[in-house]
Amino acid sequence: MLTGALTVRRFRVEGQVPEGFRDSWRDQLNDLAFREPPTSGGGKEEIEGWVQVHNLLDTNFDDFNRWLYMPYALFALRVDKKTLPAKLFNAHLAKKCEAWAEDNGTERCPASVRTRIKEDLEDEWLRRTLPRAAVTEACWHIDEGWLVLHSHSDGVADRFRKRFYRTFALKLLPWSPLDWLDDTEVSESLLGSAPTLDIMDAR
Amino acid sequence: MSDATPVVPHQAGEFYAWLWWTSESQGSGIDLGGDVGYIDFWVDERLAFRSPAETRVSAIMTGDNSSTSLESRAALAGGKVLQELRIGIKRDEHEFKVTLKGPAIEMKQAKLPSLIGDSEDAAIYDRMFLYEELSFVISALLRRFSDLRTSAEWEQQTVPAIRAWVLGEA
Repeated sequence: MLTGALTVRRFRVEGQVPEGFRDSWRDQLNDLAFREPPTSGGGKEEIEGWVQVHNLLDTNFDDFNRWLYMPYALFALRVDKKTLPAKLFNAHLAKKCEAWAEDNGTERCPASVRTRIKEDLEDEWLRRTLPRAAVTEACWHIDEGWLVLHSHSDGVADRFRKRFYRTFALKLLPWSPLDWLDDTEVSESLLGSAPTLDIMDAR
Repeated sequence: MSDATPVVPHQAGEFYAWLWWTSESQGSGIDLGGDVGYIDFWVDERLAFRSPAETRVSAIMTGDNSSTSLESRAALAGGKVLQELRIGIKRDEHEFKVTLKGPAIEMKQAKLPSLIGDSEDAAIYDRMFLYEELSFVISALLRRFSDLRTSAEWEQQTVPAIRAWVLGEA
């Protein structure tokens, strides 16, 4: 949002901005800010939370000067996910199972043992793996009730809208070109219209 | 809470075609009146088409002069619908480029004028001011189109003129 080309999806913010919103929103952003998992843990599950737009490591919203630029509020949703290289992991898993079978004088490794080996190996590898961090920035015009999200992905938008509602108790509604018009008569006329530029029909 | 405003499925495709036809047949300048005033606009280096019954892009025209090429108009003449249109806009000293995408007319790869603010705060305000200016101009273009689209002039004069242009008869 701060540099480069903008690829944005626009939403209408539905609902009343409460009195004293600055303090309550600061608290809510802090409550649902991104939290790093404990260094010893962190599995394959996704971890999400709010961060500042300036740096994805800045997760504290106490300083209004870092996110509230009246009439705009700027913040970003960070989603971390750890993924293992599947082919390499499966190759190592096969070797470990072969070793177990050899140690135990059997031809094959039973399914229950394979599952335990797989879980242990996953835990070990996930502890050593850095997550892939996706950050989606947003800018909210508080006075005019619209928000732009720096993504066109439906999945990102759904995730963002859910967390936004959890945080602010306000609903994000997809923007329609009719929202630009401010003219009910024209909007209703367009809604009732049929396509007219079927060029081939004119041939 | 109310629901989202519906999207008219054919509005964007017709809007893009009207923008293209207007820039090619009537010159690049247009006076949008009111607070927007006079702007220059032109179709830039990308047009993407889809089949009417589908949502995925099936043909893309890019490069210099893609908007004036016969192939681009042939796509419309072949019954395809514009799904994306990259346009340039100049208003006073500010020049923008943006791709308008899909039925919701979303902005993609919008290039804003260079920033003048030298602090981080000033840069944020500049960026948002420029985004709002671009939105302001696009919404004014959409209003101009929508007023025309819902008038008798659309079917009586504009549609025949666009058809003639697409078929190379104008």
